[in-house]
Amino acid sequence: MSLMRLGRKLDSAIAEAKRAGEVAGSAIEHTNRYYGLRLLRVALLWVSTYAMSRGLLELPDLDRNVRILIALAPIPLFVWFLWIWMQGVGAMDELQRRIELEALAFAFPICVVILMTLGLLELAVPLNPDNWSYRHVWAMMPALYYAGLWRAKRKYE
Amino acid sequence: MKNRLKVLRAERDWSQADLAQQLSVSRQTINAIETGKYDPSLPLAIKAARLFAQPVEAIFFPDAET
Repeated sequence: MSLMRLGRKLDSAIAEAKRAGEVAGSAIEHTNRYYGLRLLRVALLWVSTYAMSRGLLELPDLDRNVRILIALAPIPLFVWFLWIWMQGVGAMDELQRRIELEALAFAFPICVVILMTLGLLELAVPLNPDNWSYRHVWAMMPALYYAGLWRAKRKYE
Repeated sequence: MKNRLKVLRAERDWSQADLAQQLSVSRQTINAIETGKYDPSLPLAIKAARLFAQPVEAIFFPDAET
């Protein structure tokens, strides 16, 4: 119920940001706000679906095909989230794009190092899949991206 | 790279947001250029030069020339 209320609030904020952007011409702040709010709305949908999927997959008596469907349910929403993020990057100005690039340039090599380390360690010793599986490693990637974003934003403040 | 963006903006009594609006960039970008933390691209420098009706080299210049 509160999620629906939040969704409605976000919808009206998105409409307001869009109107403000139209009134102010190509004001980049309004465009960023518009994409930011859209991103937040889809992120909420994705996180809800992801949590539901994780919860449902704990149920023991599910058919294999149903389990696969449940497991993949959050993926289209996450692709939608990434699509809006890419549209947002397209609407950014040159400094904001550089900040995005520097964030990715920070996160990507560290992700490669982590994955390579895990891959090599996996050859040496059995890693506990409850701590070191794909679902644990992918979560490090956005965390590193946001760390890179924070670092790059600070540089140009 | 140094620049006279802040001086030129102050002469016209424009805020960073006003200049950002006219150059179609964010206020953060104007602030980063003014404080010397970011060097604008050539198209943006030309846009600024046209806005202030001055040559690019009168607004942006290397540190050594100051």
